[in-house]
Amino acid sequence: MEKKGLAPVIEVDGLRKVYHRIVAVDEVSFVMYHGEAFGFLGPNGAGKSTVVKILTGLVTPTRGTVRVLGNPINHRETRKRIGYLPELPTFHRWLQAREFLEFHGRLYGLRGPLLEKRCREVLALVGLSGKEHQKLGTFSKGMMQRIGLAQAILNRPDLVLLDELVSGLDPVGQRDMRELLRQLKAEGMSIFLNSHQLADVEALCDRVAIINQGRILKVGAPHSLFDEPLTVEIRVDAVSTQLLHRLGSVALAVRQDEENLCRLLVEVQNDEAAADIAAIVYECGARLYTLAPHQRSLEQLFLRTIDASNS
Amino acid sequence: MTLALITRFTLQEAIRRRLFLAVLILSTLLLVAFIILLSIAINLIQSNSSTANGGTLSPHLFLLSGGVFFDILMIWLVYLLSSLLTIVLTANMISGEVEAGTFAVIVPKPISRAEIVMGKWLGFALIIVVYTALMFFALLAIIYWKTGYWPEQVFSALGTLELTMLALLGLTTMGSAFVPTIVNGAIVLVLFIVAPIASIVQFVVQAIKPTQSLALQNIGTVINLIIPTDALWHGTSFFLLPSAQIFPLLGLSTDSFNTPFTSTQPVAPALLIWVAFYILVLPLIAVVRFQRRDL
Repeated sequence: MEKKGLAPVIEVDGLRKVYHRIVAVDEVSFVMYHGEAFGFLGPNGAGKSTVVKILTGLVTPTRGTVRVLGNPINHRETRKRIGYLPELPTFHRWLQAREFLEFHGRLYGLRGPLLEKRCREVLALVGLSGKEHQKLGTFSKGMMQRIGLAQAILNRPDLVLLDELVSGLDPVGQRDMRELLRQLKAEGMSIFLNSHQLADVEALCDRVAIINQGRILKVGAPHSLFDEPLTVEIRVDAVSTQLLHRLGSVALAVRQDEENLCRLLVEVQNDEAAADIAAIVYECGARLYTLAPHQRSLEQLFLRTIDASNS
Repeated sequence: MTLALITRFTLQEAIRRRLFLAVLILSTLLLVAFIILLSIAINLIQSNSSTANGGTLSPHLFLLSGGVFFDILMIWLVYLLSSLLTIVLTANMISGEVEAGTFAVIVPKPISRAEIVMGKWLGFALIIVVYTALMFFALLAIIYWKTGYWPEQVFSALGTLELTMLALLGLTTMGSAFVPTIVNGAIVLVLFIVAPIASIVQFVVQAIKPTQSLALQNIGTVINLIIPTDALWHGTSFFLLPSAQIFPLLGLSTDSFNTPFTSTQPVAPALLIWVAFYILVLPLIAVVRFQRRDL
């Protein structure tokens, strides 16, 4: 699926990785576009981390091609435009926060006042101002995640790959990081988010890929992946035969609550069809007390997709 | 440039680690203790010099001949200390970072894996070479101060000693790209111990049955090719000795230095070529392996 006018930042085609005869990733293909927040979802052992490691050059694929920002992953100039935060990051504990950022900044090619400025900026962004001279060995798990994110965005990358960003954070930290990611996205940074936090992914990501057993099952915008009908609950003053007949003509199914005959559950294909329901109720002369679409969540979609795949 | 960055980072890390600090403190204590012990020994020698050497040597020459023995003994200690430091400090050079997961944020940066390995190798090489040279000259200076003996081929002795450390470093570098830290350390330590044992066995068999020592000699050669540290130490010990003309003046015999621990022959040029190859190629093998390794 090509998006008009948007340049791809990640192009993965026919990716396969085998570790000692165990297939971790098989025939994985997807494209992520510039400015997108792309969620990568899957249960433990699905192959998510392997894909992320291939995208960052930590793992070599057995087969397939990967292009990041238009170039092969080993392209040095391209790497200057990528930030990466691994899951449960481990850093050199003897370094102070400032030294840690300066080292990674220099690896990116930053020097002098610009490096100092960026270090100050990212420390403030991740909420670690004032911790410059604290050793990483004394950092909590949450602080490690924050300093890890700081090194990932130090170079103001075009693409940042985040592996389970909020896993070590408390609720306040999670909220702060969500806000920061929204800010980065608004500034035009492309974000590849590998996460179990489906609510975060749903709130932030433009598109998601669901992977299981090394294969991609679905790729697309969350709302476009909802393939089950939307259930709309309606409550009226009286249910007539005409109303049931008219609703039946636009709905996939209409069920009447046996305990409350004025309550109907109407299954429609999408939100647009749901809008027709109100008009039909009005045309049939009934009084509408409730019209409540049952929200479909990414979590439901994810669980159903994975269950279907496993069965 | 990034290679220099990794080298600097390695130096910084080594200096901040407590192990390095402990080695520095212990080395300083060793030097102080050696000055005290040597002073006591010299005083004892001087007070008994007429009876100790049978009156054949002047006290000055007797002190010089003592200096030869002290040089060999103390530089052998430097050889042991530096070798152990090399193994302990560098057995985890690559594997340690892989096991800890610290490479996960370094490798994706705009730096090649070859630069990472070579930068770390260079950093450790600098530490080990400087430490060895400092200990070497400090001990020789103390011995010179107390006995007046200074080896004529001091730089050749230091050169072969440094080659020993670089050979060990090459081995630990390569090992750390292939196997976990503990395995690498154990393998290199065992090899390091096996080499002098082979020399001792060869020496004993040669003394008992000189005609049957060919097979053992071949085994010794193979071991020296696998780990040339012991052969290089023998070369170092040769350069610490006075020249053949001075031996009789000091009341010494070359036979007394033909032992499993010392040698009166320089290192064969073929071995030196092999060691140069060893020092260059083993880290390159580590680079090739690390470039293909999944992290």
